[in-house]
Amino acid sequence: MFQSESIPSHEPTQRSTDPSHGQHRPTVLELHNVSCVYGGDRPAITDMSFAAQEGEIVCLLGPSGCGKTTTLRAIAGFEPVTAGKIRLEGRLVSAPGHLVPTERRRIGMVFQEYALFPHLRVQDNVAFGLQHLSAGERATQVRVMLEMVGLTDLAARYPHELSGGQQQRVALARALVQKPAVLLLDEPFSNLDPDMAGRMREDLHDLLRRTKTTAVLVTHDHDEAFAMADRIAVLNNGKLEQLDTPEAVYHTPSTPFVADFVGQADFIPGTIEQDKVVTEIGEFPNQPGYSGGDNVVVMIRPDDVHIAPLAQSTTHILTRQFHGSENVYTIGLPSGRVVHSSEPSTSVYPVGTPVELQVNATHTVLFDRDLHQ
Amino acid sequence: MTALPVPPAQAEPDRLVVYSGRAERLIKPLLDSFQAKTGIQVDLLSSGTTEVVNRLQAEGSRTPADLLITNDAGSLERARELSLLRPLTAPDIAAAIPAQFRAADNSWIGLSGRFWVVVYNTTLVKPADLRSLLDLAEPRWKDRVAIPNAGSEYLQAGISVIKTVYGNNRTKQFLEGLKANAGTQVYGKSSQIVEAVAKGQVALGVVNHYYVYRHLATQPGAPIAVLMPDQHEGGMGAIINVAGIGIITHTKHAESANRLVDYLVSEEGQKLFADLNKEYPLHPRVTADPALPPYTTTRVAPVPLTQLGKLREPAMALIEQAGLR
Amino acid sequence: MNQATAVKSTLPDSLSLVALTVAGLLCLPLVYVAYMALTADAALWSRLWTTRIPELLFNTTALALGVAAGTLLLGVSLAWLVSRREFPGRCIWEWALVLPLAIPTYVLAYIYSHLLGTGGPVESAWQMLAGPDNRLPSPHSYAGVTLVMTLDTFPFVYLLARAAFLNLNVSYEEVARACGASRAGTLFRITLPLMRPAIVAGLSLVVLYVVSDFGAVSLLRYQTLTYAVYQQITGRYDPTAASILSLLLVAIALIFLVAERWFRQRSRFFQTTGRYRTPARRQCGPLGATLASLYTISVFAASFGMPAYMLATWSVSAISSGAVDARFFGFVWNSAFLSGLAATCAVLIGLPLAYLASRRPSRVNLLCLQAAYAGYVLPGPVGALALLVIFSHLAPFWYGTAAVLVIAYVVHFLPAGLQSMEPALQQVTPNLEEASRSLGFGTTATLRRVTLPLVRSGFIAAWVLMFLQSMKELPATLLLRPVGFDTLAVRVWLEASEEYYQLAAPSALLIVLMTIPAILLLLSKDWRAA
Repeated sequence: MFQSESIPSHEPTQRSTDPSHGQHRPTVLELHNVSCVYGGDRPAITDMSFAAQEGEIVCLLGPSGCGKTTTLRAIAGFEPVTAGKIRLEGRLVSAPGHLVPTERRRIGMVFQEYALFPHLRVQDNVAFGLQHLSAGERATQVRVMLEMVGLTDLAARYPHELSGGQQQRVALARALVQKPAVLLLDEPFSNLDPDMAGRMREDLHDLLRRTKTTAVLVTHDHDEAFAMADRIAVLNNGKLEQLDTPEAVYHTPSTPFVADFVGQADFIPGTIEQDKVVTEIGEFPNQPGYSGGDNVVVMIRPDDVHIAPLAQSTTHILTRQFHGSENVYTIGLPSGRVVHSSEPSTSVYPVGTPVELQVNATHTVLFDRDLHQ
Repeated sequence: MTALPVPPAQAEPDRLVVYSGRAERLIKPLLDSFQAKTGIQVDLLSSGTTEVVNRLQAEGSRTPADLLITNDAGSLERARELSLLRPLTAPDIAAAIPAQFRAADNSWIGLSGRFWVVVYNTTLVKPADLRSLLDLAEPRWKDRVAIPNAGSEYLQAGISVIKTVYGNNRTKQFLEGLKANAGTQVYGKSSQIVEAVAKGQVALGVVNHYYVYRHLATQPGAPIAVLMPDQHEGGMGAIINVAGIGIITHTKHAESANRLVDYLVSEEGQKLFADLNKEYPLHPRVTADPALPPYTTTRVAPVPLTQLGKLREPAMALIEQAGLR
Repeated sequence: MNQATAVKSTLPDSLSLVALTVAGLLCLPLVYVAYMALTADAALWSRLWTTRIPELLFNTTALALGVAAGTLLLGVSLAWLVSRREFPGRCIWEWALVLPLAIPTYVLAYIYSHLLGTGGPVESAWQMLAGPDNRLPSPHSYAGVTLVMTLDTFPFVYLLARAAFLNLNVSYEEVARACGASRAGTLFRITLPLMRPAIVAGLSLVVLYVVSDFGAVSLLRYQTLTYAVYQQITGRYDPTAASILSLLLVAIALIFLVAERWFRQRSRFFQTTGRYRTPARRQCGPLGATLASLYTISVFAASFGMPAYMLATWSVSAISSGAVDARFFGFVWNSAFLSGLAATCAVLIGLPLAYLASRRPSRVNLLCLQAAYAGYVLPGPVGALALLVIFSHLAPFWYGTAAVLVIAYVVHFLPAGLQSMEPALQQVTPNLEEASRSLGFGTTATLRRVTLPLVRSGFIAAWVLMFLQSMKELPATLLLRPVGFDTLAVRVWLEASEEYYQLAAPSALLIVLMTIPAILLLLSKDWRAA
């Protein structure tokens, strides 16, 4: 769908020397201890800090009401901050009592409903922010951008004549043609049906990489976050719970909320004995920070649990759900607890089959039992 | 003529309905006095003259009206042409009202006379400045003249006379000049014209004479005066018109209606009628309001009143052609 | 066929017949005027065309354009101020700026002809400053009429623009700013263009109002087509010239309506879609707040405050000198009786039309409904002319009676009533009625227990609206009223024409006071829901 063209990226303004990344890319966006409120006094986000480097795609992930959209709007400059600082390309743009207006930040924004100007044609929509250029230069840039998103044929149409996917591409083109420092996307795929969304995601990812655009994407869909993000920031109730790569978030969640939000998780209680965690489904290596006698829960993902039929077992299959590429079994343990197991779609076992569990976890994830309760 | 039979005392007194194009307050006192004398009750419906005549025509034989009073001989003539009026037969009438103020067959008779005069602001204009109505169209009076609008029956009657005396072309020229000189000073009511002259907004206006004297009666010090135009040698003479009355053809109360007419042409009735509005009574033996100059020396334009009906349409066409509002 | 369907198929048929008849009758005045004009003597046409029509067309167009420009400026700027900025008293002014609609144009015209006229207070004040020879331009002029009509009709544009501002999806503006447009740039390149449909709707209301106005132009003596039609009717025995001018007037109104509809069709995609957030109001700094307050206060004072005050003071002195007597209450009764009768008839007449159009939207039924809107393009004098002629030729028995006037009101105001009745009926979906029938209630019972309670508020709103419009109506009343049967509006006009300002005030004040609730009623969405 998208053509390949190279767009020169803008000059870096600051070099990051963050040793944990090992790359020296400039930091484009920084949030330091930012807090915002909802119209009045209800806190929307509290003490939020993260940074994005040039060309990085950061996802803000969380349930509705967690503050992710507020964060995005604060970065855009639509919401003021009540504490903390936001910097764009090293420049202070938001602080208590100080707000650089949106039109003077170099950001691009794609809304959930695209917000294409209904009274302008596609080409005029895309050209909207290029008023400072000469007419010829403007036309060139618009043409190039439309080629990149594959909409050259539709340049003279009006938004109401386009499909949902086409509208989204226009919105992207409109934002990207200005070569923003940061591209902000607010749940851009939630209006599309799943197949279309999947394709659009791939194309968007590709486009962002090619243009080396820094992007902050807001979503409530963890699959989307996993597919798109270089790093994911998981938000809950206005607080940042974890900022990490998708793999780390999935395999080593830092809180039970994160664990539960980004995928199916079962929490099995256990006790620490010597350097092992003893649970009813097996023993796992201990983690630093926990000592003998502590009561903990172990997080188990379905893909960590493997089942095989065993005639005399006391654990039985309770239900089976077919998910196309896999079967997810609910296993009833003798204690009454359940765990889930993900098996390939060809492994079909009837309900009630006694099975034995084999749990392979490359990394044990432990939480305090009272934390989980 | 024999006296009309007096209805028996026990019988229900008659009711008369009068349709009037003349303002209510100018008729009502007379009707009240008539009612007091004879016991005949009179219902008065007053409106615009055109509407009243149109209404009579539409109502046909169903009309409740018994008499028609208007302020203009032309409209009375038209009513006669539409066969809305029946000839008056009382012989007193010939003695009371001179022939030139009556229809040929006495379908209608005049009750009072008015002159179409020029009212001027005494601080802005001297009597010698103007001789004829047609002078009003001269460029020196630009934006200094107030005129009635094209629907005014007085204007239409006046133009009818001018057209008869001077012909179509000259009249059209006059109208165009008048239009230019009046500009926006075109009024729906003659009282407004007099007001404008008194305030000095304009220097001259054309109105029926009584508007001026009415104004002077309430504001004695106002700087306005009447100029009777076209009195010079060779001039056409003053334009006159009458307010008059006729009995409706289809009336069911002919006797009472005749009694009302009798009353209005009696000396008492004439004096009351004319003085109410500072017009000239037509009865030879009734004297006019002392404030009014005597009209016996005034030259009058040689256009019979009975012609005004026929002349109305052509005059209105001319007015329209000239583009007056 | 069982009983139920038999009933169902016969009832609507007779209803259709009624609707057709009614629609035909409503169209009759328009048809008659057209007929009279088109069969008129060609000489008359050419005479009018070469003498009066150019001037009248020019005047009417110039007035419409002038007022459109004025209301555009006032209406949009005030709507923007009230919906995008916060300043002291904003809440009050937001509603107060609608009040000028309560003052009929003839009332505002007569007040201003006193205020700005020779010897009036403004001229005296000016002469104190500039010397006694300095005259103000007269209000009886293009400028005067434009001023009066702008002040009286800007609320149409204001209301629609305000709704558009408040309903605009703020995302558009945020995106525009994200693309680097300044606030002013966003306003002119995005916000205002997206509001075009609403603004155009408001302006078309204004233009139709101006073109068909009689009261203000007659009192301020400005020659428009409508005024000329009235003068022709009252000044001549033959209504042919009047009908020619009327046809022209109707043609202009129709062209305008068609153009407006075409434009609305073209911009029907300017809807807000998706997530909607109320745009936030920005607080004004002290200078901004002062300017904003001054602006809103002066517009309010000029359009409503000052006139209302003058009406009140004049009424007080008129009442104390005995103007409010039995005769006055007679006029009140006349007005109320006529208007009440007209409103009731209109509701009864409009019901089958609206019902059929919503239940069985066949071509014919929809056409009948459209025909009812013919009254929109008939300015007061034109409709009156048509009825005068129709009745004097076809039904002289009724000529000159109140019936003709009631019919004139119905023809003229039914469109306004239909606009309340139609949505009310559409609210009652066929499903509701069918559900009621499936529960065992017959047609009449369904009507009584389901349909009527639901449409009640819409119908009451329609009745009230038509009642109040009829109370204020002037030109048709002047032309058609039975002799001696004056209404309040007629009294105001007659006395104002003679410059008896004080005498006219109580009637004018009463009209204004009665119209205010109607406006509040129309604006209050809560009332509708109840």
